[in-house]
Amino acid sequence: MSKPQKSTVKVRRFSKAFVWAHGINAVSFFALYITALPMYTEFFDWLYPVLGGPEGARLLHRIFAVAFISPTFIWAIFDFKGFKLWLKELVTWKKRDLQFFTEFVKELFGFNFKHVRQTFFNAGEKINSIIQIFTAILIIGSGFPMWFPEIFPRAVVQWGYLLHNVGFGLAIAVIVGHVYLSVVHKNSRPGYSGVVTGEVPAWWAHDHYTDWYDEEVAKGNFPEIDENGNPKKPTSPGSKKKKGA
Amino acid sequence: MTNSWNDVQYTDCALIMGANPAENHPISFRWLTKAKENGGKIVSVDPRYTRTSAMSDIYAPLRSGTDIPFMGGMIKYALDHNLYHKEYVAKYTNASFIVKDSYKFEDGLFSGYNAEKRAYDKTQWAIEKDAEGKPVKDFTLEHPRSVFQLMKKHYSRYDVDTVVKITGTPKDELLKVYEAFCATGKVGKAGTIMYAMGTTQHTVGTQNVRAFAIIQLLLGNVGVPGGGINAMRGESNVQGSTDFGLLYGNLTGYLNTPVSTDPLNATLAGHLEKETPKTGYWSNKPKFIVSLLKAWYGPNATAANEFGYQYLPKGNKNYSHINLFKAMYDGKLEGAFLFGTNPVVGGPNAGKEKEALSNLKWLVAVDLWETETSAFWQKEAGSDPSKINTEVFLLPACSSYEKEGSVSNSARWMQYRWQAIKPLGESRADLEIIHELMTKIKGLYKNEAGPSAAPINALYWNYGEGHHPDIDLVCKEINGYDVNTGKLIAGFGNLKDDGSTCSGNWIYCGFYPEEGKNRAKNRDKKDTGMSLYLNWSYAWPMNRRILYNRASCDPSGVPYNKEKAVVWYDAAQGKWTGVDVPDFVATRKPGDAGFEDPFIMMNDGVGGVFAPTLNDGPFPEHYEPYESPAKNPFSSQEINPTIQLFDGKFNERGFKADYPIVATTYRVSEHWQSGTMTRNQEWLSELVPHMYIEISEELAKEKGIKNKDKVIVSSARGEVKAYAMVTKRFKPHTIDGKKVHQIGMPWHFGYKGFATGDTANRLTPHIGDANTTIPEYKAFLCDVRRA
Amino acid sequence: MATEYVKFVDVTKCDGCRACMVACKNWNDLPAEQQDFLGSAQSHAKTTADTWNVLQYIEHEDSKGKLDYLFRHSACFHCTDAACEKVCPEDAISYTDFGTVVIDHEKCVGCGYCVNNCPFEVISLKEYVDKNGDKYRKAHKCTMCTDRLEEGLQPACVTTCHTGAMEFGEKAAMIKKAEERVKQIKDRYPNAMVYNPKGVGGTHTVYVLAEKPSVYGLPENPKVPTSAVIWKDYAQPIGKMMIGATTMAVVGAFITNTIISKKKNGKNEDGGDSHE
Repeated sequence: MSKPQKSTVKVRRFSKAFVWAHGINAVSFFALYITALPMYTEFFDWLYPVLGGPEGARLLHRIFAVAFISPTFIWAIFDFKGFKLWLKELVTWKKRDLQFFTEFVKELFGFNFKHVRQTFFNAGEKINSIIQIFTAILIIGSGFPMWFPEIFPRAVVQWGYLLHNVGFGLAIAVIVGHVYLSVVHKNSRPGYSGVVTGEVPAWWAHDHYTDWYDEEVAKGNFPEIDENGNPKKPTSPGSKKKKGA
Repeated sequence: MTNSWNDVQYTDCALIMGANPAENHPISFRWLTKAKENGGKIVSVDPRYTRTSAMSDIYAPLRSGTDIPFMGGMIKYALDHNLYHKEYVAKYTNASFIVKDSYKFEDGLFSGYNAEKRAYDKTQWAIEKDAEGKPVKDFTLEHPRSVFQLMKKHYSRYDVDTVVKITGTPKDELLKVYEAFCATGKVGKAGTIMYAMGTTQHTVGTQNVRAFAIIQLLLGNVGVPGGGINAMRGESNVQGSTDFGLLYGNLTGYLNTPVSTDPLNATLAGHLEKETPKTGYWSNKPKFIVSLLKAWYGPNATAANEFGYQYLPKGNKNYSHINLFKAMYDGKLEGAFLFGTNPVVGGPNAGKEKEALSNLKWLVAVDLWETETSAFWQKEAGSDPSKINTEVFLLPACSSYEKEGSVSNSARWMQYRWQAIKPLGESRADLEIIHELMTKIKGLYKNEAGPSAAPINALYWNYGEGHHPDIDLVCKEINGYDVNTGKLIAGFGNLKDDGSTCSGNWIYCGFYPEEGKNRAKNRDKKDTGMSLYLNWSYAWPMNRRILYNRASCDPSGVPYNKEKAVVWYDAAQGKWTGVDVPDFVATRKPGDAGFEDPFIMMNDGVGGVFAPTLNDGPFPEHYEPYESPAKNPFSSQEINPTIQLFDGKFNERGFKADYPIVATTYRVSEHWQSGTMTRNQEWLSELVPHMYIEISEELAKEKGIKNKDKVIVSSARGEVKAYAMVTKRFKPHTIDGKKVHQIGMPWHFGYKGFATGDTANRLTPHIGDANTTIPEYKAFLCDVRRA
Repeated sequence: MATEYVKFVDVTKCDGCRACMVACKNWNDLPAEQQDFLGSAQSHAKTTADTWNVLQYIEHEDSKGKLDYLFRHSACFHCTDAACEKVCPEDAISYTDFGTVVIDHEKCVGCGYCVNNCPFEVISLKEYVDKNGDKYRKAHKCTMCTDRLEEGLQPACVTTCHTGAMEFGEKAAMIKKAEERVKQIKDRYPNAMVYNPKGVGGTHTVYVLAEKPSVYGLPENPKVPTSAVIWKDYAQPIGKMMIGATTMAVVGAFITNTIISKKKNGKNEDGGDSHE
């Protein structure tokens, strides 16, 4: 007997505001990285003519630098609820978060692992967010004196160069993992649509963020589903039907 | 200079007064630095702490215009403390001469003063002569009417406390200067005095230099290496120009122009009699004068026509700068040639001089750039062109690098220069311009007769047929040659008064002694001893580098300082020899007349402590500047009693009630004179782009002026706007218990070029020295206020 | 073995004439840039991209109230450990065999990192407009006339200096001269010292100063900024290592996942497997 197909039923994980915020963050991050690459290492000097020379690269970098500041504000203004939830998750650490890590490493490399129930964000996502927040502060904070050295004390500008380097160095290292997990790694890549449409497969959401999914079911937002993600027949009166296949 | 730039390295003490060579003669510091390395001390006396003061060991301030009290005090100090070189003073100066008892001095005036004429009868100061007409001497220097005792008496009034009260110099600093410099009176020690316009540009300028001469003679510092009276000339070839008679009272070689106001000058014989002393080297004047006439009039100068003497114009006025501009101002001048001069910026009372120019019918300006003067008529100059009828011609001149010829430096070294690049555009050498001008003028008068045409036609213009004169011919004529054989003359000792020789300038005779041997072109870098470089260029006279170098030896011919000997008497050879050319008859032996008389140009062979030929007295006496904040403590004569006064609108005078602040003007390293060259150079203009005044912190505070504020400086003659440079380097003077402020400012600025600014000389007065009429740019009164 | 040279500047012999400033402009064909009145004889507040050496004029009263007027020829120090060379992201700044520090303008992208890290603030950017009307920037400073050194000549400023305040010679000899000179002038300048700061490994423009460095506005103990050291010697290489490490980790993860899934004969599907 062939393996049963997973249902295409989706649930909304992220708001449109978040999608835009994340998208702008992602695009500007890579644009910032690419426009800085020729200065970062000689290996990428061939990019200069593509970017319009050093001045062109500098201009693009500054444009995307401004863009890079916006996601926090976009998310906070247009989906304050989701933003609040994110911040709450980031400061909520329980035993299961620590357990998640050890299991995650096994899972990453394809070995057998134990499932640990997670809330809206798993510990890995929380760590990623915390690091991204931290490095963004470093990058943006040091970006100002680098862009306007005339108005800052020399020492601030000098330390700015260091912090900018630390910030983007750490950020890109983590982003490599983040992109791998969201695009390549088979267990996590179904969640990719979450940052494109805001919706993710219901079965995947249930499996990976079980506590969150059950909470949403209790609230009546998400359907009860079987192991393949298909909505179960309503067993109790009053249960709402949500989106179907 | 009696000495030279290189020679300065040998000094034990350099007194730099009335000058700021670190800024205005920077190469001097190449040598002063060496002097310091050799243990020499540098003393800077200046109203302002300058870059020179920063390089010096001792600095003392003084109020502008009080040089004579300062030096008079030094003379008294040297005499009181017995620091003078006794043998030198007794044998080599006229300190031993007895002065006629008609000589008197009282209350600021010497005997023979005529108040109406503002002049002295100098015969009252004559020296007693014996039956043979020689001066009566007392070598003990004790005779009450000996020059020495009269000098001592004269300067007994210049005690330290009086000096300090009038100069404002703090007492301990004054004494430090006196001590340091008078120490060079010791036998074997040498002190040099280096000075410039800060000394000369006063109504008592000549006497300021005289005071230097007296102290140097007292200390035995003239004629010795590391010594001397060293005028640092103010521009490239001003030395050459005065040598060649551009001063109004001179022919070439410092011969006097004959004036028609003296009946003796009616004939050549009379003129020669008047001009020629019986003793001293000037007794050879007729040879120089006749040779000069032969150079100018060539074959048209013969024994029969007094060698063309009648062709020479004989003036009857004072043709100094101030007088010329007064005549211009009064509408008495039709036209003017202004060769490389910019009086609208550089002249005293420059605003009035600009007004004067518009009275001219025509003006020919010869300049490298259009200057404030050649453009005086323009709107930018603040003029209304529609009201000015002067026809102005601007002839573009080329710079010294674009032409060939010689320049004589302050040390009298005639250094030939070759053309580095061809003149730009239509610009031409002055020599070419004058050559073409004179050739054309001669052409115009060619067929005329009569008294106006005769001198022009008689002028012997023998410089070749080309557009540009043959410089070699000019050089040969300057040097001189035998008119019959054409052979060049070896030295001025061979010039004759019978018309057989010609020489355009006797002091240079000898620079071109043989065909192909123009010694001004000598460029042998080898030091021939004591940094005299005898084979580099040619120094007049006769390549003597240190003037009066005989005086560096004792009366028997032995050098006072054997380690720094330059000439000496060699008994074995029976002549004078050394590493310098002896400024003396080399074959004079002990026992010969004049063997002990080093000052060969002086009538009596000795240096003049007493100088009875000057207009304002035989001894320097202090008078306050024309505009003064203080009362003269030495006499009731407030100002120099013999200076020519100009009144009316031509020279408005300011008084301390309205203008309580002493002002002086000066130069900076980066700009040159009236700025016509340097303010047209971007890199120099970049260094000093703005007109400013230097003002003490104390005065600035009183006036509510902060550093960099714009201020207005006013005098009785005008106002200028400038930036304020508030500085610690000016401090208020304490004059007779009262605080007197002083400011200073550069005078380089005008409205043309890359660096522009108001012209300081709009403030300076039309008043000049009693002997030279050099304007008193260096001490006048002003007021300052925030703009 | 290349010989290191030092430009020895003895400010006590300097008379403030500024011929060195003009010589530099002349040799390097630099344009004049007139400044506003700065309140002293000084023409420029500091060196700029077009003015590579500036004469400082300082009125200084010592503790006893005695006034001195100090001059200093100020230009690039040509540090042995040059902060500018360290932070340049394009390797445009390098050391020559003479010991001088020079900029390759082909490589310079005008980022200004050197400008902001120089402990002496001697290097500056200049903006240009190319033939298309686009702006670009380059960094400039004193080159110690390396082009003249290569021809066996001395720096233009040294050649022009008429008092001998500036000398150019082998490093050991010049430093020895400096030390001896300080001894010579102790009477006139009790605070005289040799300025050859260790914090930048010593420099190739060595001074005898008449007063403490702070009188000249110079840092007493300049060094390569600590931030630059951490940045270039640690953060940059560590950052490159980190991205290398995470990239290798994810590549490794991809490989192991593929192998293991092959072992399990493709029974896996996205998102589900191997748990519970």
